[in-house]
Amino acid sequence: MIRQIRIELLKLVTVRLSYGLLAVGVALTGIFSAIEASRAGKVSSVAPLNTYSGLSTIVTGGVWGLLLGAVLGVTITSGEFRHQTATLTYLATPNRTRVLAAKMVAAAAGGAVFGLAVYLMAAGVGLGFVAAHGYPVSIGAGTFVRYGLGHVVGGALLGCLGAVLGSLVRSQLAAVIAVFVWSIILESLIGGLFTSIRPYLPYTAGTTLAGTALGAAGFGPAHGVSGAAPLPFAAATALLAGLAVVLAFAAARTTVRRDVT
Amino acid sequence: MAGMAIIQAHGLTKRFGSVRAVDDLSFSVERGSVTGFLGPNGAGKTTTLRMLLGLVTPDAGTATINGRVYADLPEPLHQVGAVLEASSFHPGRTARSHLHIQALAAAADPGRVDDVLDLVQLTPAAGRRIGGFSLGMRQRLGLATALLADPEILILDEPANGLDPEGVRWLRGLLRGFAAEGGTVLVSSHMLAETAQTVDSVVIVDHGRLVTQAPLASLTAHDDLEDAFLRLTGHPSLKEAWK
Repeated sequence: MIRQIRIELLKLVTVRLSYGLLAVGVALTGIFSAIEASRAGKVSSVAPLNTYSGLSTIVTGGVWGLLLGAVLGVTITSGEFRHQTATLTYLATPNRTRVLAAKMVAAAAGGAVFGLAVYLMAAGVGLGFVAAHGYPVSIGAGTFVRYGLGHVVGGALLGCLGAVLGSLVRSQLAAVIAVFVWSIILESLIGGLFTSIRPYLPYTAGTTLAGTALGAAGFGPAHGVSGAAPLPFAAATALLAGLAVVLAFAAARTTVRRDVT
Repeated sequence: MAGMAIIQAHGLTKRFGSVRAVDDLSFSVERGSVTGFLGPNGAGKTTTLRMLLGLVTPDAGTATINGRVYADLPEPLHQVGAVLEASSFHPGRTARSHLHIQALAAAADPGRVDDVLDLVQLTPAAGRRIGGFSLGMRQRLGLATALLADPEILILDEPANGLDPEGVRWLRGLLRGFAAEGGTVLVSSHMLAETAQTVDSVVIVDHGRLVTQAPLASLTAHDDLEDAFLRLTGHPSLKEAWK
């Protein structure tokens, strides 16, 4: 299994797409974090940067970049069918469940790197603006570490879910569209209509792991709407990990077994 | 060990919807031979090869290599090297990266990467992305991939597609040399004149069913391979059509 994971990680680091997605995620996080930081204290949605709330908003504001970690996960599995490399993969490792498991681990590793990278960018921008204004840093070191850990864990779990989704859907384009539509639009709609289930929605759970307020990481009717408390860290982790396992089991019983023609 | 069946298909059947792609097909390939797997388009050749390699699940029948189904072979790439399509590479990866990944997957010595690049004459292009490769270069890379773990069996689907005449001659030498060292080759092809110069025996299929399995010499005692093939598959030869 270790060799299989090494194979999948090697595949990941030998294509430009991985670096491109990471660069886009980090760059967009930098841009949006800077925009939000420049509006802090001037609009009602972002508190002043010398407050805990204001700096937290900026430091966790790039969490939507974790979505690109999920997209990376999608490409790890669906890319095998897009480029017809599944043939070589399954010739080397006929145990397809093992291949899927290794891909989930590789996607989790990739997602974790995405989470850490966007967090470092967002935190860097937030602290840069705080320093430029001469404000005191209103967040303690422990909170910074907790947010960082949340980004890494959230990114890993969303990356893993992306890999499972790509395995279930196989069509890379359809799976990537599904990630964006579900995370940014449908979760917001469902969360806006049924606030009690909102913390349990996977993208929301992933982003709240990283410290983002409910509704802050999406668009649509539920953006910025509260009404329920986010899940505790352990519960959100268990929810996303459990969902990945259940969907992986479904994939292993269905699409993974399909003929490779 | 020469003369023993190393690849065996028994009663292989596969349907895709209402189409019976392979229909109760049985044949065997002897150790140390080069066997041509011939048939018209849509005869079921590719589906059969994919069933042999565990990529397609038969509806009925069995396919074994060294007495085991492919999925049960320990370190399968050490036993079987396969080239099934020239496009099964990530276009953004370099040839060398691709082979390093495959070497790891095959538990092969990483030093083999340079060996096989030399063997298929792709060393100058090793650092280029595969997306920029011609069809012939992809075929050579496919062969390099198949040879990485030094297998005893090669299963090749139309490996000469896209090769120029020099490449076809090179491939012929490669396959004959592989067999001369005790390797076994099962190769599907549409290039009958070329096949006749390479193989020891042929398996001819049509409409998913076995038409004949015979040594090349017995099949071509009175005809060339092309005429024999067309006669056996029920198509008039060019010579007959002119008459």
